Amino acid sequence: MSRALDERRAAFQRYKEDVKERGKPFYPYAMFHDTVMSLVVVSVIIGLAVIWKYTAGEDPNKPGWLGPLYAEPADPGTTNFVPRPDWYFYFLFYLLRIFKWPNTVILGTVGIPTVCLVLLLALPFLDVRRERRLLRRPVAIVAAILTVLSMGVLTYKGATAKESLGSETLAAVPTWAKRQGFENNKQALAGAKLFATAGCEQCHTYLGTGSSNLGAPDLSAIGKGQQAAFFSQYVSNPRKFGNPVMPIYGETFDKTQLDQLGAFLAASKGPH
Amino acid sequence: MEPAHGDDKPHLPPPSLWPVGFAIGVACILVGLIVRPLVIVPIGAAIAIVFAFLWARDATRDYRTVSVPEVEPERRPPRRRARAIPAHRGEAGMPEPEPGEIERFPRSIFLEGATLGFGALIGGLVTIPVLGPAIAEAFVRGKKHEFDLGPITNFPVGKYVITTFFTDPSEGTVSRRTAYIRNNGDSPKGPSFTIISNRCAHLGCPVQPNGPVFDNQKKTTHSRSAGDVTIIPALPAGFGCPCHGGQYDKEGNRTAGPPVRGLDRYEYLIRDGHLVLLKPFSVWKVNGTGANAKIQKYPLTNPGDHVHGIESWLYPWQPPR
Amino acid sequence: MPRNRKSARRQRMEQAIVYPLDWLEERSGLIGGIRYFLFRKVPADTNWMQTLGSATLTAFIVQAVTGVILAMFYKPDPNSAYQSIQHITNDVTLGWLVRGMHRWGASVFIILMFFHMARVFLFGAYKYPRELNWIIGVLLLVLGMLEGFTGYLLPWDQTAYWATVVGINLNGTAPFLGPFLAQFLRGGAEIGPDTISRFYSLHMLLLPGAIIGLIGLHLYLVVRLGVSSPPWSKEAAGADRVEPEPTPGRRGLLQPGARGGIPR
Repeated sequence: MSRALDERRAAFQRYKEDVKERGKPFYPYAMFHDTVMSLVVVSVIIGLAVIWKYTAGEDPNKPGWLGPLYAEPADPGTTNFVPRPDWYFYFLFYLLRIFKWPNTVILGTVGIPTVCLVLLLALPFLDVRRERRLLRRPVAIVAAILTVLSMGVLTYKGATAKESLGSETLAAVPTWAKRQGFENNKQALAGAKLFATAGCEQCHTYLGTGSSNLGAPDLSAIGKGQQAAFFSQYVSNPRKFGNPVMPIYGETFDKTQLDQLGAFLAASKGPH
Repeated sequence: MEPAHGDDKPHLPPPSLWPVGFAIGVACILVGLIVRPLVIVPIGAAIAIVFAFLWARDATRDYRTVSVPEVEPERRPPRRRARAIPAHRGEAGMPEPEPGEIERFPRSIFLEGATLGFGALIGGLVTIPVLGPAIAEAFVRGKKHEFDLGPITNFPVGKYVITTFFTDPSEGTVSRRTAYIRNNGDSPKGPSFTIISNRCAHLGCPVQPNGPVFDNQKKTTHSRSAGDVTIIPALPAGFGCPCHGGQYDKEGNRTAGPPVRGLDRYEYLIRDGHLVLLKPFSVWKVNGTGANAKIQKYPLTNPGDHVHGIESWLYPWQPPR
Repeated sequence: MPRNRKSARRQRMEQAIVYPLDWLEERSGLIGGIRYFLFRKVPADTNWMQTLGSATLTAFIVQAVTGVILAMFYKPDPNSAYQSIQHITNDVTLGWLVRGMHRWGASVFIILMFFHMARVFLFGAYKYPRELNWIIGVLLLVLGMLEGFTGYLLPWDQTAYWATVVGINLNGTAPFLGPFLAQFLRGGAEIGPDTISRFYSLHMLLLPGAIIGLIGLHLYLVVRLGVSSPPWSKEAAGADRVEPEPTPGRRGLLQPGARGGIPR
């Protein structure tokens, strides 16, 4: 152990001698680089602020290139808002969506972040080799690549994670009607509106909206080769058709509403 | 006239206290002029003149008599003639005692102990005011929980309504809360309600009703304890959380996703035909529906904390609410 | 000879500049310190990647300055916070610029911290004798992200409120003391007016104070321990100089030791 320490001390001594012989003064050689970089940083910050102001509007629904200037004022009693953290926390946010099972929640909230932080703090004590050349540090390179990749992927997935918000999906119904061709089908239109607000899209995807959960299939073309009555009965009691997960909508919706849903699903034969 | 003791050195007057008296006299003059009564001014002038005379007499003594040095001369022999060096050369800081110079005898140990002890005492005294507002205040029991939500006739039987109210109307929007309320009709114990909180049991996000919401049928009432109460009918087949995909059924039981237990509920009572909300509590599972529901209750628990099973051993204490 | 003679006027000018500096130096030693910082030697092969640290410091200074200005107009109360931000953006002269710089400067600050950390990792500049500096750097990263978390609540709009609800409840899931930590952060059983004041105090006073202190320590260590060379550089300062082992029984073209060792 002390031999390693002696080697390290000797290496540092050599470092100091090398710098003394061949080094250059910090000012102006290195400080010039620092100043240029700082100028770039300040320009980028000012540029972003200017772009934000001039492309965004006052209206929270008109985001511009960099997001709206304001969201709605805080409302602790809201029922239609999708919370998201700031972008640099997206990787933690998506980690929470990965750990879907209640018993594993604590892993995603405190387990993994704590372990990563401890590893980061303890790094100089885990890697005690003197070697600094990259090609001779395979563990370091692999760890760095894995970390960058996973944080990048988690951040990207967190950014693109979508949740269906009843009010937003409702606005998509006319587009669906056009693409699927049921604009003139009053039953199907009413069924589409029910489908949009009843939370079906929290498990089903449809024409590019919604999210896929618990194995629920995409419903964009589900109507091919089926009748409306089949769908009405399925939605009314999925258990009869061997589906153990889907809620039993017959307990909530009446026959008219179930028929409307059936008509909508039967009309969804895939976009033409 | 030259001072008697030498004429190549600048004249340094001997030390004396007369200038103090002179200054007091001048101060009296100024005080008298500004603060009044004016009678103080001549008194101050007299003091100033007397002390000025005494001061001048003292300062010019050397010119009048042979001066006796008033100050004790330095007895140490002069050091070797060294060039004066600027303050920052040589030892940069003030001289420290040599290791052997600090003799450890009982008085020094007492002083050390007293210094450290008083320091610890000061640290403690400063910490207590910090602990009070910063930490203890957060755990003081909250205010009364009683919110009058209006007559029970506003709540249609067998249907859910989205009810928003204020837990402290004087605080404004920050105290706005939402509950999903269903009137279950009459039961042997009186009118029965299912009152579910809209905070998800996973991490507290606002849970949405999975069903159409009939905004055009909104009703509003007002009460002193709950502020403006709005009641909006809805037709949820269940509840879903937009943050991480948690799903609940119509009794608030978790059916899918990361929530660790069912949705919280509120206690309630009926007073004069009005529905009054009381304290919230946490729920593990609900068996049965509506008025016949058997609710497995727990004290109000932080979202994300298990209440049942082995994992609940990780959360033995909840702060007072 | 003529070059050594400066005109008397020029000499007087130089004296005028040098005199106050010497006055300060004799009474504090500060000028010597600044001179040492500016003119100390660094390896000749320092890379552009090694400017990320000072870039991060610049971003932090931008945050501090714009933050002070915003604090002159911001009101940390749930009923007036949102309006005060609207006032800053719409009414105050160039208020929109200061607010925008502070908001985007936060993201730039965090990105630069991660880039700087990655650069230090790749250069192996966390090894002896710079381990303490790495630990201080990780602490700075944590404090910086906490700054982002506490600052996010202050505009008091929907995104701010709900992101903070989730963040605080995340802390509440820690075993045993989690619920108490969450209640401490919230300042009560539910998010209320005390929460925004608490976060404001943390964001403006406690966290920046800690960050500034640690940055000072971080920079002191950098100056004291020196800047490392890029590890791939041919003239890396401090690199080992290895004498090649003489291969037994092989003489001829290769004469070991002929050049007195091959400098690395």
